[in-house]
Amino acid sequence: MSSDVVLVIVVATALAFDFTNGFHDTANAIATSVSTRAMSPRFAVLLSAVLNFAGAFISLEVAATVGQGIVESDAVTTTVVFAGLVGAIAWNLATWYFGLPSSSSHALIGGLVGAAFAASGASAIQGDGLVEKVILPGIVAPILAFTVAGIAILVAYRIVGRLRPGPVNRAYRLGQLVSGSMFSLAHGTNDAQKTMGIITLALIAHGDLSSTNFEVPTWVVVSSAAAIALGTYTGGWRIIRTVGSRIIKMDPAQGFSAQGSGAAVVLAATHLGYPLSTTHVISGGVMGAGAATRLSAVRWGVAGNIAIAWVLTLPAAALIGALAYGFSSIFGSGALGPLVVSLSILGVTLAFFGRRVARGQVLTADA
Amino acid sequence: MTAAAIDWGQLFELVWAGALAGVGVAVAFAALILGATRAADHRRAERGRVASAYIVLGAVAAFAFAGSVVFGVWVIVSK
Repeated sequence: MSSDVVLVIVVATALAFDFTNGFHDTANAIATSVSTRAMSPRFAVLLSAVLNFAGAFISLEVAATVGQGIVESDAVTTTVVFAGLVGAIAWNLATWYFGLPSSSSHALIGGLVGAAFAASGASAIQGDGLVEKVILPGIVAPILAFTVAGIAILVAYRIVGRLRPGPVNRAYRLGQLVSGSMFSLAHGTNDAQKTMGIITLALIAHGDLSSTNFEVPTWVVVSSAAAIALGTYTGGWRIIRTVGSRIIKMDPAQGFSAQGSGAAVVLAATHLGYPLSTTHVISGGVMGAGAATRLSAVRWGVAGNIAIAWVLTLPAAALIGALAYGFSSIFGSGALGPLVVSLSILGVTLAFFGRRVARGQVLTADA
Repeated sequence: MTAAAIDWGQLFELVWAGALAGVGVAVAFAALILGATRAADHRRAERGRVASAYIVLGAVAAFAFAGSVVFGVWVIVSK
């Protein structure tokens, strides 16, 4: 009975993480399209939500790899998974509040690492895997995207610079429909599967599924796809505003260069088996597209805040994950700990957002 | 956390492949716009041959851009 309650809490928390992932990372796909008026805000989030939903059904390969090579598999219990998810959700909400784009995947890994460390000590963490799969891609992605988007916009200006601006801007806005769609599809395929993997791991740990045959149940696929799509449709407008207009004021050519070359970099890297964070790529791309034309076009203060958020993502989510595990353990190994932690977080979140809504200053598609 | 844990060969491949793909997409789309816009201008000015050359440029660029989109979808579907 107790393990059933823990399983229900883990599944609900995983879907809550998936929802925050959707609204947090919507900005990656659509921010530049919205700011260059390639799409209306409502249409952009709807398109992104539909493609995130569709992307979740395309492949299930990523689902089997969550946490693999980073945390020792025998250290992963349902309570560790729960605490890891709490760490990731808390960091996603904190960065969303400050309008900072940060990687939800890195937050999830950070949360799991912290919770596993608190549960089993340093031996539960595979340092080399952490360097290879998280830290190195976290450094490479923004630098590569910055450089590529910078070269791309310079070459693009060279080619179309003498044409009439009207048709050129219209064409780049059309191009952003394609590049934004590719970003959304890639995001849905990658990130919804992480939630599927987490729920499937919990089902295996609970004994509902065999560990020898990793097969994601249909209800897990549908619920994960629905949660990320719903989160995407809700739209994280604070982050959309940061990526779309606070880093640089961009024209449609810059928007396409950041988004189009960013999508190409992400997909080329995926093809080589080197998945990069879409958040890091699009943010680096936007900065590169701005800096290539004029260094002072980039608001370096905003860019610095974003970089700090990236550096803090792993340790902060890990710390929260470890604290959540530690607090949960006070109540024993049963369901009471996760239940108390869940209710506490739910209470704090509702109180906070209730106050924000009452103040009437929440950013929306229109604001 | 050692340098030995890093596959430098794969990292180098990522850098050049990512750069090639990113810049390639931008060049293809810019060439598509150039071809389409210039072809229309020259057709209006009744310079048929030049217009045809730009139509060919636009078509090649459109093919390259569409190819990169199809490749991207294939990467997403096949992983």
